[in-house]
Amino acid sequence: MSWIREGDLNLIERISANILKAGPIPKHVAFIMDGNRRYARKRQVERQEGHSQGFEKLAETLRWCLRLDIREVTVYAFSIENFKRSKDEVDGLMELAKQKFTRLLEEQENLEKHGVCIRVLGDLTLLPLDLQEVIAKAVLATKTHNKCFLNVCFAYTSRHEIASAVREMAWGVEQGLIRPSDVSEALLSQCLYTSNSPNPDMLIRTSGEVRLSDFLLWQTSYSCLVFQSVLWPEYSFWNLCEAILQYQLSHRSLQKAREQHRESQALQQLEADRSCVAELLQHRSNGTPVDAQSRQEALHSYTASREERVRHFLGALQHKRDTFFSDLCSPAVVA
Amino acid sequence: MALVFEFVWRLLHALLHLHRTLVTWFRSHLWKWNGRIWKRAVAALLVPIALGFPNHKKLAPTTGKRVGRRFRFGADGKALEKLPLHVGLLIAEEEPRYSDIANLVVWCMAVGISYVSVYDNQGVFRRNNSRLMEEILKQQQEQLGADGSKYSVEFLSNGSDKQDHQVLSCQAVVKVLSPEDGRQGIVEAAQKLCRAVEQRERAAKDIDVTVLDSLLRESRNIPDPDLVLKFGAVQSTLGYLPWHIRLSEFISLPTHANISYEDLLGALQSFAACEQRFGK
Repeated sequence: MSWIREGDLNLIERISANILKAGPIPKHVAFIMDGNRRYARKRQVERQEGHSQGFEKLAETLRWCLRLDIREVTVYAFSIENFKRSKDEVDGLMELAKQKFTRLLEEQENLEKHGVCIRVLGDLTLLPLDLQEVIAKAVLATKTHNKCFLNVCFAYTSRHEIASAVREMAWGVEQGLIRPSDVSEALLSQCLYTSNSPNPDMLIRTSGEVRLSDFLLWQTSYSCLVFQSVLWPEYSFWNLCEAILQYQLSHRSLQKAREQHRESQALQQLEADRSCVAELLQHRSNGTPVDAQSRQEALHSYTASREERVRHFLGALQHKRDTFFSDLCSPAVVA
Repeated sequence: MALVFEFVWRLLHALLHLHRTLVTWFRSHLWKWNGRIWKRAVAALLVPIALGFPNHKKLAPTTGKRVGRRFRFGADGKALEKLPLHVGLLIAEEEPRYSDIANLVVWCMAVGISYVSVYDNQGVFRRNNSRLMEEILKQQQEQLGADGSKYSVEFLSNGSDKQDHQVLSCQAVVKVLSPEDGRQGIVEAAQKLCRAVEQRERAAKDIDVTVLDSLLRESRNIPDPDLVLKFGAVQSTLGYLPWHIRLSEFISLPTHANISYEDLLGALQSFAACEQRFGK
């Protein structure tokens, strides 16, 4: 019942992996692990067993990803919308999560050996306190590992994440750390729960549903979306290869689209800085025209000071988040 | 050894590209022949697509039968179990064809869909808004004829959203979207909220999903798309309305070039069969 299934690929799988690796491989893959309950119905077992099998499949998939050089995986484990399910099912899922995270703490050496860093993203305050504490311990224990990353989205929806990012920026304004004019796409991205990860290159959803269900809506704007009809507990290495093949086919177009977007973002930031500077100079010079040289210098210094403000703000935000976890682990809370 | 793998990889991708090109060529040239033997041959060719990439809908042949179709539209719409309120047409292809898009818009309206948005990630439609409008009006006349006057189309470009007075008598709304309506729209709302916080009109801790959502609706009143029809080989949303697509069904069609009404109807039928559990 471990987080990382030992065991390797067979010969044909290894050969296929090597062939795929000759082309572009996504560095970060997101999974919507859908189909556990339908699998349970199909196999005529309890729902809880379906979810348990789902976790097993996650461990196996992580192993395949590492073998294919996919260093970062984000999974949608529990949505805020899932709280609408029956109390029994929700309690069962919370219990399963607590078991798995506790097991994770027991496997620390194994995780250290593989260099796995586990992050849990979402509104953790919605979870039972004992689960929050176990999660905090697991996150802090693997914090410094950096060979590969597993992000588990728990009590998460994308809209909540975006709203929380906006709330953090508003907090920054309230504290006088940043100005409303500093708010940009780039800053919002850095205030999301996923700020420590690059955007996913690919998102895979299993069980045949063709929607995003409020998962990483902001981050997957330029990701390759792959919808596969296989149920999650039946996911195979070949399904993963098929998804990577799709990614490779869309790769160039997506790179181009991302590049275009980056350029237009940079342009927008420049324009925003320019208009702020223009306003500032207007105030200072009281209507007398300013020469191009001074304008350019003012622009440089404004951009530098904006970047400094933003750096300071992001540092404060990171500190706030770290404190949340360390407070959960500290003995004072337990008492 | 690495060279061998690289060679095999290049061969594999060359085969896939060839396959894709052949299928596109067959679609555009041989369907017109309507010969049974050719249909079977192409069906055989398409089977690997079905096996390999299950999500791509296969396109039906363009029968070209316009007579009698006018009367079908409404009936087809009513026959569907559920009809989307807002259909997003996401054109992920390099060269947009205005007449085909206009066809899609007109068919959507005729079938009973009240809100259609057209999007491409480079803002081409936004820049050529009037050309698209003309094309749509022209197709409306051609396709719907006398019935066309029943359907009045409201074109919303960015400025006019703020006044609601047009909404009175329109049957359908067509909105042209670009990436500015997506992430940038959210950023603008965030800036507004931050300015309100700076002015002490609002507390940061009061900002939640509802507040952000209502602010977004205020500036750009776009209903959440129930269905997004994506045209093109690129498998991505390419920046289309990230906030609004949380529950949208995505149906992929290979291309919008020479798209037929039957293709659209097929996609709508797939949509009607989708089951939403909303987390439960």
